[in-house]
Amino acid sequence: MVMPHPTAHVQPSLARLRRRLTVGLFLEIWPIWAAAALVLIGTVIVVCRVFVPAAAPVLPWLWLIPAATAIPVFAMCLRRAYQPDQVAAIADSLAGGQGILLTLFETGDPAWAESQLAAGASQFQLPRLQLRPALSVLIPAAMFVVAAMLVPQRIPSQAADGVLAKEVSANLTAAIVELKKQELITPEEEQKLREEVSRIERSAEKRMDASTWEAADALREKMNAGLSDKQSAVKWAQDSAARFSAAMQAGGPGDPKAAASAAELMQALEKLAQSGLLGGASQELKGLLKSGKLPTDAAALAALMASVGGELANANGKLAGLGNATGAFGRFNPEEFATGQSPDGDGAPGRGGVNRGRADAELTWGRETARVDTFKSKPLPPGAPRSPDDWAPVVVLPGAPQESAVPGAQSAGREYAAAAGQGAWRRSLAPRHQTAVKKYFDTTQPKKSGGGR
Amino acid sequence: MTDTQALLSPDRVLAGQAKVTQVVNELRTVIIGKEQVIDEVVTALLARGHVLLEGLPGLGKTELVKALSRLLSLEVRRIQFTPDLLPTDVTGSLILQDRGGTREFMFHEGPIFTNLLLADEINRASPKTQAALLEAMQERRVTTFGVTRQLPSPFFVLATQNPIELEGTYPLPEAQLDRFMFKVDIAGVDQQVLEHILVTRVHGEPPPLSPVLGAADLADLFALVDEVHLPRAVANYIARLVAASHPGSAEAPNAVKTFVKFGSSPRAAIAMGAASRGLAILRGKPNVGFDEVRRVAAAAMAHRLVLDYAARLEGWDGRRVVGALLEAVPEVERGLPKALEARPV
Repeated sequence: MVMPHPTAHVQPSLARLRRRLTVGLFLEIWPIWAAAALVLIGTVIVVCRVFVPAAAPVLPWLWLIPAATAIPVFAMCLRRAYQPDQVAAIADSLAGGQGILLTLFETGDPAWAESQLAAGASQFQLPRLQLRPALSVLIPAAMFVVAAMLVPQRIPSQAADGVLAKEVSANLTAAIVELKKQELITPEEEQKLREEVSRIERSAEKRMDASTWEAADALREKMNAGLSDKQSAVKWAQDSAARFSAAMQAGGPGDPKAAASAAELMQALEKLAQSGLLGGASQELKGLLKSGKLPTDAAALAALMASVGGELANANGKLAGLGNATGAFGRFNPEEFATGQSPDGDGAPGRGGVNRGRADAELTWGRETARVDTFKSKPLPPGAPRSPDDWAPVVVLPGAPQESAVPGAQSAGREYAAAAGQGAWRRSLAPRHQTAVKKYFDTTQPKKSGGGR
Repeated sequence: MTDTQALLSPDRVLAGQAKVTQVVNELRTVIIGKEQVIDEVVTALLARGHVLLEGLPGLGKTELVKALSRLLSLEVRRIQFTPDLLPTDVTGSLILQDRGGTREFMFHEGPIFTNLLLADEINRASPKTQAALLEAMQERRVTTFGVTRQLPSPFFVLATQNPIELEGTYPLPEAQLDRFMFKVDIAGVDQQVLEHILVTRVHGEPPPLSPVLGAADLADLFALVDEVHLPRAVANYIARLVAASHPGSAEAPNAVKTFVKFGSSPRAAIAMGAASRGLAILRGKPNVGFDEVRRVAAAAMAHRLVLDYAARLEGWDGRRVVGALLEAVPEVERGLPKALEARPV
């Protein structure tokens, strides 16, 4: 028969104590880890808020890290778990330090297992969990994280660039679509324009700067130039048709002028066809362009001219109706200022805004009174100081100029100068030197040759 | 868990406790109101340690030792230490004697050759005479004129000293103090005790005592004490306490670092272990617990601490430092986690 160990009746209590110790160990380690994780998270959040805007969607998930630290801490607690002899020592200490539990645990002698001593020692109370002090370390760390979360997220510059790039691309694409809709560009031209737009968009997504706007403006200029060329071609064709009709009426088909006008008209029509403006032309006109020869009979020629005139009018209408489809973005339009649409003033140099004119223009802020009306010349009274800071008479000596009762406007300046000169004379020269200076500057008296100053 | 080891049987422990309790009870009839002092002296006796009793005159130091000697039916001798006492007055000397017509030197044993030596006012003897006790107390033998003689067993020194009237005294050196297992401070008695003494003792004489324990009983008790189990955790506690009494120790509390110049010697740890065993028998236990260590710590360690002068200025003595030590050093080396709090027992 196997005798039970003398501490067998205490084992359940020891097991409970061991579990409590493990929990205590966990609460001793985990809050520190969690607090460290929270501080780390807070730091990461602040850094991401300021420097890594792209990480913004991930930040709320960082709250999981403190919870995740529980796993390694739990593993650590299991690894550092109290050994049975350590649990017995703690139990013995909790029971009053009689040592009997330790002794029974170490010796295994059952002689004292049923003693009153052992019974008293086995009834120890489990230690109390101190949650508040254990978790208090988390509070400042959590507050730090909350404060970090309150840091405003910096708008990612890359995203802003992307938005602007898409806006630029969308405007350019809309212009191309409008041109295509009006059949003002050929498919080849459309393809090239779209490639240009996509290149600008890619460049803008990487870095949005002045070069992007310049590129977009350049593309618009290019489209405008193409439209202008087409408009010129239409005009040329219309003028050529008018000249051809006039030559035909004047001299008939055999007239050299009519032949030259016919050749010019053919060239103008070919140019129109190359620019795609005759895509919807009649079959007769297309046949004419294919053959390269104008009809000779009057009726056919009149019908052809009517057809050409209709096509040209149509093309001209398209071009005229296109309006500002390509130039509405990014370009300075002085007309806006005339209508008060822009805060840049009225367009006059020096009236505020980006169009304030050249650098040396006088800056004004509104419709000030004309400067010529602001001041009128007004002579100062004789003897009046030009500025209070200049000087002030301390004493008036005999011989000082007297103020005239009614000074004239022109004499006032002279009197003032004389008075100022007298004042300066009196102030700067001692009486004993005045004679010598007067002699030196007196040109009426002959100077002694070889004399000094 | 280790293999089964035999503990003291409850019968043996209870029998030993009964004997010791009888001694204690008899002593309490002689020395009234000094239960702790009596417990400490008896504990040291069971651990075969020497005791230094310190207290003012008239507090019963000498009477305690005399009562103990009567109860134990041991041979008792008393030396009244004075400045002119010579070492040979303690250890004995060669005396020229005439034996059958021949004269030869015969060794005349000093008063140290006894079971229980009462060294009264030990600090009044010169250091040379005090040093004569060193070998006797530690080795329990005496060497005179090149001849070593064993002292009778058991051998105890119960010394007394007076904390006042220090003129003309020679404070015990540290080496001498270290030989004493306990230094027991005897404080004054309170009003009720004085009243009891006045009522029960007309001339202050103690009640008559008859021997309770003989030499054989003492030998049995000593054997019993030696068999008391000292758990490893408790031994670890003693070791950590002694280690922490050194100011250079990492576990030393601030009081030790501030007021202690030199900590307790390993002899203190041995004394604490032995005294704890003796106290366990006094309490009827087969083992030593943390509580026994706490109880004997002050008496065993305080006089072994060499305190800094700052301690005297701040009013700290050895016992107070040991109290701080007991508060600072946890009983279990790996104690409760910080998140747990022990409930009061």
